Amino acid sequence: MSAGAFIAGRDLDGDMVIKADAVVIGTGAGGSIALRELARAGHDVIALEEGALSLPRDFDQREDVMIPRIFQDAGGRATEDMAIRVLQGRGVGGSTVHNTNLCKRTPDAILDGWARRHGVQGAGPADLRSAFDAIERDLSVSEIPASMRNANNEVLRAGTAALGWRAGPLRHNRVGCQQSGFCELGCAYDAKQNALKVVLPAAVDAGARVYSDVEALRVTHEGGRVTGVVAVARDALGQRKAAVQVWSPVVVLAASAVGSAALARRSGIPDPHGQLGRGLRMHPGAVAAGAFDREITGWRGIPQSYECTEFLSHEEGSDRRVWIVTAFAHPVGAAAMLPGFGPAHMAAMRSYPRLAVLTAMVHDETSGEVDVDADGAPILRYVMSDRDRAQLAQGLLACARILLAAGATEVTIPAIPALRARSASELDRLDLSAVRPHSVPITAVHPMGTMRMGEDPRISVVRSTGEHHQLQGLFVADGSLFPTSIGVPPQISIYAFALHLAPHVIERARRG
Amino acid sequence: MPRPPTNREPPQPWRLTRRQLLRAGALVAAATLGAGAVLAAVRTRGYAAPPGRRLVAMSAWQFVVAQHVARRIVAPDRPDDPTIPTADAVDIAGFVDAWMARLPTRVRRDLGRFFAVIEHVAPLGAGFASRFTRLGPAEQDVVLASLEASSIDLLRAGFDGLKALVLMGFYRDARAWSVVGYDGPLVGRPAGGWRAPGAQP
Repeated sequence: MSAGAFIAGRDLDGDMVIKADAVVIGTGAGGSIALRELARAGHDVIALEEGALSLPRDFDQREDVMIPRIFQDAGGRATEDMAIRVLQGRGVGGSTVHNTNLCKRTPDAILDGWARRHGVQGAGPADLRSAFDAIERDLSVSEIPASMRNANNEVLRAGTAALGWRAGPLRHNRVGCQQSGFCELGCAYDAKQNALKVVLPAAVDAGARVYSDVEALRVTHEGGRVTGVVAVARDALGQRKAAVQVWSPVVVLAASAVGSAALARRSGIPDPHGQLGRGLRMHPGAVAAGAFDREITGWRGIPQSYECTEFLSHEEGSDRRVWIVTAFAHPVGAAAMLPGFGPAHMAAMRSYPRLAVLTAMVHDETSGEVDVDADGAPILRYVMSDRDRAQLAQGLLACARILLAAGATEVTIPAIPALRARSASELDRLDLSAVRPHSVPITAVHPMGTMRMGEDPRISVVRSTGEHHQLQGLFVADGSLFPTSIGVPPQISIYAFALHLAPHVIERARRG
Repeated sequence: MPRPPTNREPPQPWRLTRRQLLRAGALVAAATLGAGAVLAAVRTRGYAAPPGRRLVAMSAWQFVVAQHVARRIVAPDRPDDPTIPTADAVDIAGFVDAWMARLPTRVRRDLGRFFAVIEHVAPLGAGFASRFTRLGPAEQDVVLASLEASSIDLLRAGFDGLKALVLMGFYRDARAWSVVGYDGPLVGRPAGGWRAPGAQP
């Protein structure tokens, strides 16, 4: 077995053929755990990551530099109708590099619902408890204390307290945090206890090899079994550098609910029931901003350390499906959200230090689809249902109410035309029909559900073990697995499911 | 415990489904984009990028359109304030050109076509029989406002995308940070801050 290493595809001298017990596609939450567990079990395992390896010294806290480096499509990924911007990580560590470290377990009601209605076996709350415990230990998850709560989050706390709404502090995976507030651009201080810092180095220590800059083009298969992966290494400019052929009886897809489904589609994976790529959920969200007569400087300090769950139920069919947290952005992100342009836009931007911003994220029912275009690039089809649009409108109204209760002098929902209110009574009179895709800027950061697990192949793509129904040796270990939206940030769920399912992957690799 | 009001939309007696609307909008937008592309193919002469400029993704006419769009999107609220950098001073069009080179082929092609729509089609829709780049600033604002509020979803989305790119080109620059009270990255921050003499944005 080879010694573990991080290897940059851009430095390869020529074409390469690799034989391995297992190959993992993607190095985010799910892929890193699958890789580590396979390596610790003594298997010769590699990971292919299409993006680059970035180290703390590379995270320079500049939006124009980091966004194209660590986000898919240079931050420009969107649904096919361009109504929803979809932010997904790219690079070693995947989305754990840019996320804000939110750690919430999959709600019991969701897991119970998957067992009752989606045929998922062995993944109930009790089955997953040890995996959640282990992941939270590995990632040093702890509650953010009030002393580290920034002004924007304090606005959320004060507003919900004044209204008597259900709210509380959040748990994060950060140690040694400098409270710089640049989490979404990667941590320059190496304080994120994520896949990049914690899990992948452990995998490499156990003998795994991580190839960055190597894009998996298709999974090869024959006679109902996977045989490997065809990939290409690219240079720093994205140009083809070398061909990479991997021969392996086990392939683990962990390239996100978009990337994994797109790769499976490109590969002609059997799909007798037309389930592959379907069931896309994304947690679409939008923002409301409150102007205060004091400085908030919301870009400083730990983002998203407090939550409002007053309007969030995880029971299926609920009409309370909105999660509210803070959503402050650096200048580029903030400017793009503000409506208008020219002098009026710049004048509005002058209030930037005095703004507090909240986001309403919908625990969505809308079922979208991931397809591929003629070049094999992913296409995201997702048109918000009326019920989800109504949830978003109610959520933004609640955000506005919280901001006013916390002392905002005016709240703005950046629709076209902008919705503004200076009092609760003005809020009641707002016409919320403007809260819809293509009118308000909607962003989604949690794609899920395109290769759903379950025992019934007519409604799922992989078994409850994570192995494909029709193709032996093909596993899924990312958010694609989830039969529904989970209504909480998914990183801990993805880490935990990858750990929970790892014994099945290891057993398949052992059999060869 | 206080609850947000229901605030439901009144039922409508007849309306297209969302999917029908999207399809219709997409068809109209595709036709518009196609028309823009055809027009651009025959009307791309007479534009010149600044001497010495080596474009990596744009053609010269696209660069000139981007310059005009950028000047309006980041037009200052205090025109006489010399501390506010101009779109040309921070080279927003050059930034957009470099950014386009990194975009997936399909997105780059769509953005290129959108420049054609701005230059040749959108002015007509706003009531001007002239290219966008030959209009005065106030007229250009009317054209851009018509795109931002267009009834065609794809045109609105196109404007939003281009606006975001232009704003990134502007607010990436330390000279723009002080306009909005942003103190910039902590990493590499010069003693005295990003606007200190000699500091490189």
